Amino acid sequence: MHALARRLEALLFISSRPLAPPEMAAACGCPTAEVDEALAVLRVEYAAERHGVTLRDVAGGVTFAVADDCAEDVRRLTGAERPDDLTPALLETLAVVAYLQPVTRAETAEVRGVSSEWALGALEERGLVEQLGRADTPGAPILYGTGVRFLRLFGLRSLEELPPLEEFSLQAVEVDEIRARLLANAERRRA
Amino acid sequence: MRAEATAVAAPPVARAAAGGLASGAPPSWGTGSDVGDQAHRSFDLDLDVFDGPFDLLVTLILKDEIDIWEVRVSRIIADYVLRLADSGEFDLDATSQFVVLVAALLEMKSRLLLEEEVEEALEDLDPDEAAEHLLERLVRYSQFKNAAGALRRRWDEHSARLYRSAPVPPALLCRPVPAGALPAPALAAALAPLLRDPPVPDTSHLADLAVSLVKELRRLRLILGDEGGFTFAAVSSGDLLERAVTFFALLELHSGGEAVLRQKRHFGDIVVTRATRPPQAVVAV
Repeated sequence: MHALARRLEALLFISSRPLAPPEMAAACGCPTAEVDEALAVLRVEYAAERHGVTLRDVAGGVTFAVADDCAEDVRRLTGAERPDDLTPALLETLAVVAYLQPVTRAETAEVRGVSSEWALGALEERGLVEQLGRADTPGAPILYGTGVRFLRLFGLRSLEELPPLEEFSLQAVEVDEIRARLLANAERRRA
Repeated sequence: MRAEATAVAAPPVARAAAGGLASGAPPSWGTGSDVGDQAHRSFDLDLDVFDGPFDLLVTLILKDEIDIWEVRVSRIIADYVLRLADSGEFDLDATSQFVVLVAALLEMKSRLLLEEEVEEALEDLDPDEAAEHLLERLVRYSQFKNAAGALRRRWDEHSARLYRSAPVPPALLCRPVPAGALPAPALAAALAPLLRDPPVPDTSHLADLAVSLVKELRRLRLILGDEGGFTFAAVSSGDLLERAVTFFALLELHSGGEAVLRQKRHFGDIVVTRATRPPQAVVAV
């Protein structure tokens, strides 16, 4: 195998967190471009179904992950459990934080129309949401955002990989339908 | 509906005003001329914008004659706490009234902070405008609801993935200490203070409790036996803690059926008499 690829393999083997190419370049004392080249060789080597582990791009770097079809054996050996499922309310709150971060509790509640105190607390406890600091507004409310764990659990390289929010907008037809319904309601209220 | 919410949220101000604050002196608060045991009730302030008794300040604020923005509430509280500490007495009534008034001031001040936003709220929108506003919010909310759906799909696909996560074996992290970098005497000097016993903390300011519940019970039983009864004031000492122990002993006598306790009015003296029927079981303490 490519000599640099072997050295990168060693770095990835020993590191318990994703490694960014510049980090590996610094460790090996070579330009990042060469690391990228060698990584491509490694990716071929660890392509699906050749080994029990694969290479994945997640949370700002490259890391080894157990191949999906071997995961159950590893779970039986290590006792590692799947993370608890997320309820719709938690996912919704997480979506607001992920897209609007840094965001305050009040802003989250404003978008969702309901208090989000419990949801933010639960997400924070599960390490999906982190406190980033305090806003420079009256009351200095806490600012929330997502962290590395969020990226890992959702298989994201970075926040930029989230699809743009506009993709999730309602269709014009749907908006018109809701508007008609609301206006009909308003009409009834006037009468 | 908003007016209702405001009324519910603002009882201290409403109550204080209704209690005659706005028309002059607050209820049951001494005025500046009321000296003697009432002296600490209305305490004098020396602020940048105001010099005089606290209740007058509240009255002036309620009458809009002093701008509450100009008043530093924290300063008033600090002054009051100092006053309390100096007087050595704690008048629960006066202090709770002070807390209510200060809370009212703070609430007025915080309401002013939010005033602009409240003005912009959905008050008196005509139904069409309200519908448009609601639509806007619904459209915005739907984006996140749909985004949550997309996150759900990613979660289902990726959340169970097992990444390389083992910590680096400690043996690989150990770096040998270069020989001679840490001479033995230096190490000993660093270790010595840790091995020395810390000084014994000074507890001279803590007074030993002179009475115990057992002793106090024994004493009260003796008086009860000899004299058939007594009053709490007659048997208790001046020390607050010892009085508490005496009181617990009284309760113990009462619950054991040895004594009957009577009190004519709240906070009045307690008259203790021997129970007429013999106690069923004397509680051993």
